[in-house]
Amino acid sequence: MSHEPTYAPEEGGATGRRSRIVDLLTTYGERAGNALVYSSAYLAAIAMTEVAIAMVLLSLPPNPAPVVVGLVTFAVYTNDRVADADTDAVSDPDRSAFVRRHRGTLYLLASVAYGLAVAISVLGGPVALAVTLLPGAFWVAYAADWVPNLAPRLRRLKEVLVVNSLVVALAWATTVTALPVAFTDAAVTPATAVVFAYFLLRSFVDTEIPNVGDVEADRATDVATLPVAFGVPATRRALYCVDLFTVGLVGVAASTGVLRAGPAVALGVGVAYSLVVTGLLGRADDDAVALASECEYLVVAAALVGPLLIA
Amino acid sequence: MLSPGTLTAVMLLTVVVGTTAALLAWRERREPGAVPLTAMSAGQVWWSVFFVLEHRADTLAAKAFYSDVQWVGVVVIPVAWLLFALEYTGRDRYVRPRYVALLSVVPVVTVALAATNDYHDLLYLDTELVTEGGRQVLDRVGGPWYWVVTGYTYLLGLLGSIPLLGLVRSDSLPFRGQSLGLLVGTLAPWASNVLFLAGAVPVPSLDPTPVFFAVSGVAYLGAITRFRLLGTSPSANHRARRLVFERMREGAVVVDRHDYVVDMNEQAAAILDVEPRDVLGEPAAEVIPRYEHLPEEGRSSRHLTLGEGLRSRQYDVTVTAVADFHGRSLGGVISFHDVSDHLRRQQRLEVLNRVLRHNIRTETNLIYGNADLIDAEGAHVEAVKDGAMRIEAISDKARDVIDIFERGRQSGRSLTLSAVLEECVEAVREDHPSVAVDLEVDPGDDPADGTAVSVSPVLTSVLMNVVENAAEHNDSADPWVGVRATCADEGVEIRVADNGPGISDHERAALERGNETPLEHGSGLGLWLIAWGTELADGDLTIDDREGGGTVVTVRVPRIASEGE
Repeated sequence: MSHEPTYAPEEGGATGRRSRIVDLLTTYGERAGNALVYSSAYLAAIAMTEVAIAMVLLSLPPNPAPVVVGLVTFAVYTNDRVADADTDAVSDPDRSAFVRRHRGTLYLLASVAYGLAVAISVLGGPVALAVTLLPGAFWVAYAADWVPNLAPRLRRLKEVLVVNSLVVALAWATTVTALPVAFTDAAVTPATAVVFAYFLLRSFVDTEIPNVGDVEADRATDVATLPVAFGVPATRRALYCVDLFTVGLVGVAASTGVLRAGPAVALGVGVAYSLVVTGLLGRADDDAVALASECEYLVVAAALVGPLLIA
Repeated sequence: MLSPGTLTAVMLLTVVVGTTAALLAWRERREPGAVPLTAMSAGQVWWSVFFVLEHRADTLAAKAFYSDVQWVGVVVIPVAWLLFALEYTGRDRYVRPRYVALLSVVPVVTVALAATNDYHDLLYLDTELVTEGGRQVLDRVGGPWYWVVTGYTYLLGLLGSIPLLGLVRSDSLPFRGQSLGLLVGTLAPWASNVLFLAGAVPVPSLDPTPVFFAVSGVAYLGAITRFRLLGTSPSANHRARRLVFERMREGAVVVDRHDYVVDMNEQAAAILDVEPRDVLGEPAAEVIPRYEHLPEEGRSSRHLTLGEGLRSRQYDVTVTAVADFHGRSLGGVISFHDVSDHLRRQQRLEVLNRVLRHNIRTETNLIYGNADLIDAEGAHVEAVKDGAMRIEAISDKARDVIDIFERGRQSGRSLTLSAVLEECVEAVREDHPSVAVDLEVDPGDDPADGTAVSVSPVLTSVLMNVVENAAEHNDSADPWVGVRATCADEGVEIRVADNGPGISDHERAALERGNETPLEHGSGLGLWLIAWGTELADGDLTIDDREGGGTVVTVRVPRIASEGE
């Protein structure tokens, strides 16, 4: 019986183990990534970043508003995806399959998240509570199809050019700006209006960019969006205009002292990033461009925090 | 006593659990009881939220305002609870807009009085801030309407609990779990409210009821997730039972313990030729003929005949006693089973029996007797006599069949296995002396060779025919029939083997099908007699080819208690 060491199999074994570890990490990493993207958890993270930016811009003390907005975003978008899982099967089969597979868990998580958001918002007082309850009211009404029964005109807003994106942007801007203000009992100042306007413009761009990838579906359902009405090149130009309008708003706010220089520069970096992303509209993968557009706030956050870390 | 921070944390936990429960219930809103359950959870969340706001407010005015707003949630809960219980247990006929509006009168008045209390003091006589446990809390003295709405809340709570309590005793584990979860979830805050009203809480001015809604939320969530509340609901039970009662083929009349008719189904109304609305509440003796002759419980010994002449119908009448949980009589259900067709078939059989027993036999004997007197060649006379004998044999067989049916109806009679075997074997040995008939009995645990084993009397005819067939049709040079009986605890197996020509396939096929057609039928009644007789004795029959030629017929019948037992 030989007792000589047999290096080759051990080496092979080590390689095999490494390979298995890599496989496992790849598999679980991919699953975690899918869960993050498909469940809308990443949107919650971005929404939290938006509120944090608003708090920095308004010089508000730390408060639970980002957590509440993150929870509400997760709850509303997850519920939306669960509700639309069947209709999304054609436009986004992978996401639809993921949502359908975990439908029960996702709905439970969304419910708990919204419950937590409502509970925490009570600490912010009645205004914070009202702002938090509003998406929940829409959740219940939308699920029951009460909106078309009670307000046909409201339902049709979704089909009206620009107005549809403006309504979504308005909801985002209100939540992101009002909630931290409500939590801290801060006064409404010109800076508040500028921050609100900034998020309104940015959210408008964020809403129109994904519409480029949904042209066929929107046309089929008579939903008027910029790319449906004017085509992709015209949409690109229109969004350039909104970006430049944002630059003007930030510039005026900074020059009049409403915004401090540092945050204003960070917002400028974000808009510059947005101009690049908008330039890719129709020239790169639509989903990738939409995801990149939603990450604008991470760029702004990095621009805000980066100098502090370097200093 | 809870610190302010802990109290707030508990209340917020209540909000989380309540909101989650409400949204989970809302998702199942098409299920019975889901919408009221959502409303109840929303009411709890509302109460808890404004309780926290009241608790955290600094001024008397703010605290009083939040306290008043809480009433919106408070009054929703009992109404939603009752509606939930009604819908969930299948009593949704009471869940109509007009009833909901009626139930909502007191709640709406309460909210209105809370909003305008400064002008009338009907809800609260006095409101002030007091310091308890180191913090300022609202101290309110209830006015007359406060006690009205409190009583109303408790009344609806009680009414809602009654149908759910019925489910606690359900045979179904999910329904028991669901109803227990719901009852615990509802009783917890109510019990705490009782303690508050009785002044038995640590801080007299602080109503701990909303705190206990955390328990409610956990119980409801448990019922939803663990026991599939809203996924499996008993709401169909109530309707289904009623539907079975209404649509059953038998007529059924429910009488109370004082012998008054309290319910009847459509079939009973048709049988008795009455209108239910005319006879409900009437004495049963005036509605049901011969009511006084019915037994206390069980089947009536005589059929009830309703109608006259050819249109008359006969019914088996059965009384089923109804008792409460403690065994006290509540009344009974009298059911009417239409046996007219069965009795008519029986009558026809009796006529045929008489024809076979008497008429054919007499006429055949007449033919046989007269054949001897015919002046003809001997072979022709013998043919006529053989034909007459065959007719008589068939009529004898038919009589045996009818005898078997008759004996099959006479339950309780029995014969010993040894007597049956000996009778059959002896008879065949006598009729067919050229055939060797062997009998072997394996008594099992019966030491007396089958004398202690009792079997159905029908077995005599069955075995007689099996052994006789085996002997009669045996054209072997050395004809032989072997009868072997094996006794076991549960039954007896009798195996009859022969070395004859076997039973043809088309005869067996007709037996396996259970019926004959004009083209495919047996040659007589013998095999049918064996099959029907075995069936009447609750046994089973197999026919196999015997190795080396011939047939093996195996009859298995259960042992029955002897007449003396």
